[in-house]
Amino acid sequence: MSNQASIKRFEELEAGRILGDLDAAETAEWQELSAELGRGSDLSLELAAAAIETDFIQEQEVALPDDIAALVRREIPKFSSPEKSSATIIAPPVWQRLFQSPKAAWAIAALFAALFVAGFLTDGAKPSNPPELSSEEARDELLRKAGDLIESDFGGTEAYGGMSGKVVWSDALQEGYMTLTNLPANKPDKNQYQLWIVDPSRDEKPVDGGVFDIPSGKETAVIPIRNPLAVTKPAAFVITLEQPGGVVVSKQEVVVALAKAS
Amino acid sequence: MEHCVTKYGGLVWSIAQRYARDRSSAEDIVQETFTDLWKSAGRYDPSVATESTFIGMLARRRAIDFARKESRQPILEPLPDAESLPHVSPEPSAALRCESEDVRAALKQLPEETQRIFSLHFDEGMTHPEIVEKTGLPLGTVKTRLRRGLIDVRNILHRLEGVQPSLSSAR
Repeated sequence: MSNQASIKRFEELEAGRILGDLDAAETAEWQELSAELGRGSDLSLELAAAAIETDFIQEQEVALPDDIAALVRREIPKFSSPEKSSATIIAPPVWQRLFQSPKAAWAIAALFAALFVAGFLTDGAKPSNPPELSSEEARDELLRKAGDLIESDFGGTEAYGGMSGKVVWSDALQEGYMTLTNLPANKPDKNQYQLWIVDPSRDEKPVDGGVFDIPSGKETAVIPIRNPLAVTKPAAFVITLEQPGGVVVSKQEVVVALAKAS
Repeated sequence: MEHCVTKYGGLVWSIAQRYARDRSSAEDIVQETFTDLWKSAGRYDPSVATESTFIGMLARRRAIDFARKESRQPILEPLPDAESLPHVSPEPSAALRCESEDVRAALKQLPEETQRIFSLHFDEGMTHPEIVEKTGLPLGTVKTRLRRGLIDVRNILHRLEGVQPSLSSAR
């Protein structure tokens, strides 16, 4: 696929992501193209969708029920200590005062936003792992920064007894990596490896952790975990061999390796 | 926040109701949206989007994320062969400060069939399978029309704003 064709395809997939209608194969394709092109979320498409939906809804808007409005008003003040990230520009006490004066609130928010120019909205549109970081570097960075790291060793099934590996995962960052050694190279046009994350707190069905390849001649490979759905309490990580592009629900005909989270 | 709840509570609630299966879920979406708003107000830039679009975007994010988690069973349907798309700049501007009349003008430039699908989806709140049942169109066609229609509307709005004058409009 040419670069221009890839960009067009990515844009179409991004529109699908924003409309909430990507299937599993398309989600995997979105992730691959995102890494290949170094592109992430497209804010302008998301704003277009929001503008359309907002415009239609305003004609038939339903008032927020009083009990829910009261609940929101009660809950919001509980956030007295927000994350002190650079993205949180307005400190909570200031925020609360500002919203007693709506016009001032938006004006000052705009001023702060302008001071930080273009930054934060576009930052959110970038992929979480900058393309210049290799998988190894990104994994090492995760090891340094994650305070809730889960680590577990992979054990190969009978046919894959020669492989070994480790998985690291952070619930808070929703980021993880597998370091796999002696896993046989696959032929991407015939089959691909797919990771599944078992998270009983979420669902009895495993969550897709992304499709990946092991290139020939590579003894050890570091593979980023790509989970389109949030995982909060992983109990196990399972690698299967599936058809190219992966599957939505694995029949687990070829289970390659398993790592139980302790 | 009082102002936001009063002014935009109805918008957020209406969006939440479209995507949630019951009142309790819609309530969760509303709470999460206003929490997001509380956390991200510093990111709001009126030169990028109107207040209602910005808040609508936050509500849609939460609502679609909720619907995605609920479904867990994506419908697999092959898409039709790629058709020609408008030329797209590799780095399109993020800003899209459009008013209601701009949105309506952009929608009118879409092909009639796409306008009909947009109306069913965005106006009547129909899901893709419901649109398939209503129109008799294949699911892949509905998805493609919505996706490409959205890209076209964005491009038309950019052109109206003079951001991307070279972009072609809807087919």
